[in-house]
Amino acid sequence: MAEVILRQLTKRFGATTAVDDVSLRIPDGELLVLLGPSGCGKSTILRLISGLEDATSGEIAIDGELVNFKDPTERNVAMVFQNYALYPHMSVSKNIAFPLETARMPKPKVRDAVARAAEMLEIGDLLGRLPEQLSGGQRQRVALARAIVRQPLVFLMDEPLSNLDAQLRVQTRLELTALHERLGITTVYVTHDQVEAMTMGRRIAVMQSGRLQQVGAPVDVYRTPATTFVATFMGAPPMNLIDGELRADDGRWQFVREGYSLDVDPAVMGIEPAALQQSAGPVRLGVRPEHLTLAEPAAAGIPGIVQFLEPVGSDLFVSVGVGEHRVQVRMPPDAKAEREDAVRVSFDPARSHIFGSDDRNLRAGLAR
Amino acid sequence: MEGSVAAGAAEEWAELTLSPRQYRQRARRYRARTSRRAIGFLAPYTAIWAVFLAFPVGWGVWLSFNTGGILGTRQFVGFENWTRAWGDTEIRTAVRNTAVYMVIAIAVVFGLAIFLASLLNKHRRGSNFFKLALYFPLLAPPILGAMMWFFMVHFDFGVLNLILRQFGGAGINYLGENPNALLTIVAVEVWRGLGFWVLFYLAGIQAVPEELLAAGRIDGAKAWRRFARITVPTLRPLLLFALVVAIIFNAQLFDSVQVLTEGGPALGTATVVWFIFKRMFAFQDTGLAFATSVGLLLVILAATLLSFWALAKRQAREA
Amino acid sequence: MTAGSAAPERDLTTDGAATERDMTASDDGQADSFELDRAAFEAAGRRRRTSDRVRRIGAYATLSLFVVISVGPALYLISPAFRDSVSLFAYPPEWIPRRPTLENYRFLFRNTEYIRWGVNTAVYATGVTLVSLVTNSLAAYAFARLRFPGRKVLFFLILSTLMIPVAAVLAPTYLTVRTIGGWPLIGDWIDLDTYGGLILPSAVSPLGVFMMKQFIETLPGGLYEAAKLDGASEWRIFRKIVLPLLKPALVVLGIFVFMITWASYLWPLVAATGDDYRVLTVGIQSLNGQFVTNWGVMGAAALLTIVPVTIVFLFFQKWFVQASMAGALKQ
Repeated sequence: MAEVILRQLTKRFGATTAVDDVSLRIPDGELLVLLGPSGCGKSTILRLISGLEDATSGEIAIDGELVNFKDPTERNVAMVFQNYALYPHMSVSKNIAFPLETARMPKPKVRDAVARAAEMLEIGDLLGRLPEQLSGGQRQRVALARAIVRQPLVFLMDEPLSNLDAQLRVQTRLELTALHERLGITTVYVTHDQVEAMTMGRRIAVMQSGRLQQVGAPVDVYRTPATTFVATFMGAPPMNLIDGELRADDGRWQFVREGYSLDVDPAVMGIEPAALQQSAGPVRLGVRPEHLTLAEPAAAGIPGIVQFLEPVGSDLFVSVGVGEHRVQVRMPPDAKAEREDAVRVSFDPARSHIFGSDDRNLRAGLAR
Repeated sequence: MEGSVAAGAAEEWAELTLSPRQYRQRARRYRARTSRRAIGFLAPYTAIWAVFLAFPVGWGVWLSFNTGGILGTRQFVGFENWTRAWGDTEIRTAVRNTAVYMVIAIAVVFGLAIFLASLLNKHRRGSNFFKLALYFPLLAPPILGAMMWFFMVHFDFGVLNLILRQFGGAGINYLGENPNALLTIVAVEVWRGLGFWVLFYLAGIQAVPEELLAAGRIDGAKAWRRFARITVPTLRPLLLFALVVAIIFNAQLFDSVQVLTEGGPALGTATVVWFIFKRMFAFQDTGLAFATSVGLLLVILAATLLSFWALAKRQAREA
Repeated sequence: MTAGSAAPERDLTTDGAATERDMTASDDGQADSFELDRAAFEAAGRRRRTSDRVRRIGAYATLSLFVVISVGPALYLISPAFRDSVSLFAYPPEWIPRRPTLENYRFLFRNTEYIRWGVNTAVYATGVTLVSLVTNSLAAYAFARLRFPGRKVLFFLILSTLMIPVAAVLAPTYLTVRTIGGWPLIGDWIDLDTYGGLILPSAVSPLGVFMMKQFIETLPGGLYEAAKLDGASEWRIFRKIVLPLLKPALVVLGIFVFMITWASYLWPLVAATGDDYRVLTVGIQSLNGQFVTNWGVMGAAALLTIVPVTIVFLFFQKWFVQASMAGALKQ
């Protein structure tokens, strides 16, 4: 068990930068989820921590010790691979025992440890089988057992659920969380699935193009996305972004677009006046679908025309054309709306965000 | 604060602990340490390869510029061996024989093999038996294969002549006359290689996607057109590869010559390798042997490059 | 095996093609000419079936002819191998031995070193096979999985010698072995007329390195990485993970190398000068033209040498064929 620290970590493959100046601290015992689209560098970070790749620059410390120049065999980290990477010619028990036998643990102790791990993952009856005789879910459990059996300092999981069918994925997700709570081993969990990230991580770190976008508790990241990327990557449907301009009018700040203006009160929207000053000019207004409502054309709000209705049972998603944008509004399932209705889209400014031309949220408290 | 920390935040824990110089130094040491592990894996093969293949190649090139027999003192003579080899009528004969042999043998064996492979592809009943039987000659070492043929083509007691004589024929001198001798060698080598090439092309034909052929059938293409328009073009990359392999293999013709004709009659079956062998070990004229060896190497290299170039050109034209 | 399934399949497609033509024909003509078309269709089918039969008979006759040519010379060996040499020249020819004799074999075992040659061949071919398998798979592992400076250059250098024929380096290799033979200590093991000198120069082909590297690269990369994270050293990964999974490829390579080696002639001819290290191919060929050629003995030797291989071949035919295909690169 150990704390993992990444210091200004960078990895380049030729001309492409897979990981770009990432600093991250994962406290002892935490489960941190690295979230991002494929190719964003999240798996590369796992491989750098494990030592399967060498960093171009920057440092990695595990349990207070610099491990950049330690072989993967010496780092005492365990990894669960996307395709499980079970040794196809070894039985399940041999697979689980492999790391222990490698460490020259005496035979009886190996047997005990394998039995314990198998029991924990409920695969005791599969020990004699070969990997090819197992289902996807069973393989997953064997891979987990092989990872936990030697009690590593750090657990690395590379999209471990992506090869399972949807139902099994939900169940295994819960079990993984329970397993983590029980073992308390520092875990870095890579996924591109935001639901997995939201439900499993105590903290999540969102990445894009090799850069860390935001780190925080899932709810915070969802509520207060630090960048437009996070705003649109998290949430389905994503946060609505509307182009406009930030202007000062008689000392009062306003978000202005054709046929609409919104008073921006720094106190209400949690923005430092200085930040407003800096970002004057083109900006984007961001509001989540669930924070929008439809109002009469005469009411206050952004004018638009209803284009589509998508009832999904629990909710009704209404697409409203606002200029060149299409805005998604989440309504109760019985809400009344018709296509081609002229409406106003209104919202609570306290739950809206303004993103500067650098795509960063102006809200205070987010590092810039 | 615990909330949100973005990239490169200047927090205390994110400060680097090593100076760039220390970092580079330790990275270098680490890479050296991991690289060293390869030595144990590489050493056995690389040692054998270096001593018994790479070094001899280099030494052979060097020695082609020297005189002196196996035992004699060596002396650098520049291109003397090469000019001698160039003017040597024996070498010219050997090269011509080898070339003639290669052209006929490869043409015949490829033609027969593609024909038999397409037969086997169409008529699958018992094809396993036919494949095995055709493959059989490859099992015997070339030396023994050639010996078997002694009993076929010997003038006095060869089976072929015995049959001819029973029908009142005079018997043919298969080995004692030119150009019979070279053609007999061709026949023996075709006999040996046929099974391999049949299997080779059969695998190639069967790799032609079934949908392509089926599409051809629905279009009403005749069997022959189907073969020429669909099967052969898909075999083309294979054909080139096969040609290179066949050239390299056949340029080394030696074993059956040694058994059946010993280069005769009147050098009618003298091949390049046979010449190298004789010069080196019978006459100990190492200079000439080395020059010819290097020449053979170059020719094989050129043949390989040439056929790859031809393929690239043809593909470019078709595209 | 596939005959049963292939035949009806072909019939089906033939019918399909005919029907297709039928349909376009009836489109052109009247709708009620269907009956007529049907008769024509059946007649065409009959014609087609007859010509199919002729073609099939022709095909099998051709194939059989080539089988006779392929196997005939070896089968005929049985005859001279059990006759005395004089009867070879008898006329009319004596196809089947009238008085079969084992004299040729007695001569082979008493007056020649046939058994010694056989043992040498076994040692030689086994030695080359083992050395190749071990060194090639080790080197292939390094090239496929390890990172070290000069990896690509060295691999390219080694690969570039893939096409070099034995014959082209025969002379310098001979001199190299002779030179090493003159050195103290190592010269006792590697010299002309030693197993070392016979085996090592025959185990230089990079084909196996190339083949094994390709194969190792097709193994899921995750296995290697998982083993690394499980704490296994490169050697342990090689032995416990890679080697077991490499088994099929090793068998194919092993058979190929063994076949090539035991059949080889040129290198053993120059590397072993006396009977002590002479192999079968060289030994049997030495019977040819030594004094007066004893044809019966030569036939007997050839037959005796081929029979065991044939039996092994029939047992492991699938592997053999696969091996020769894998080796297409070299042969």
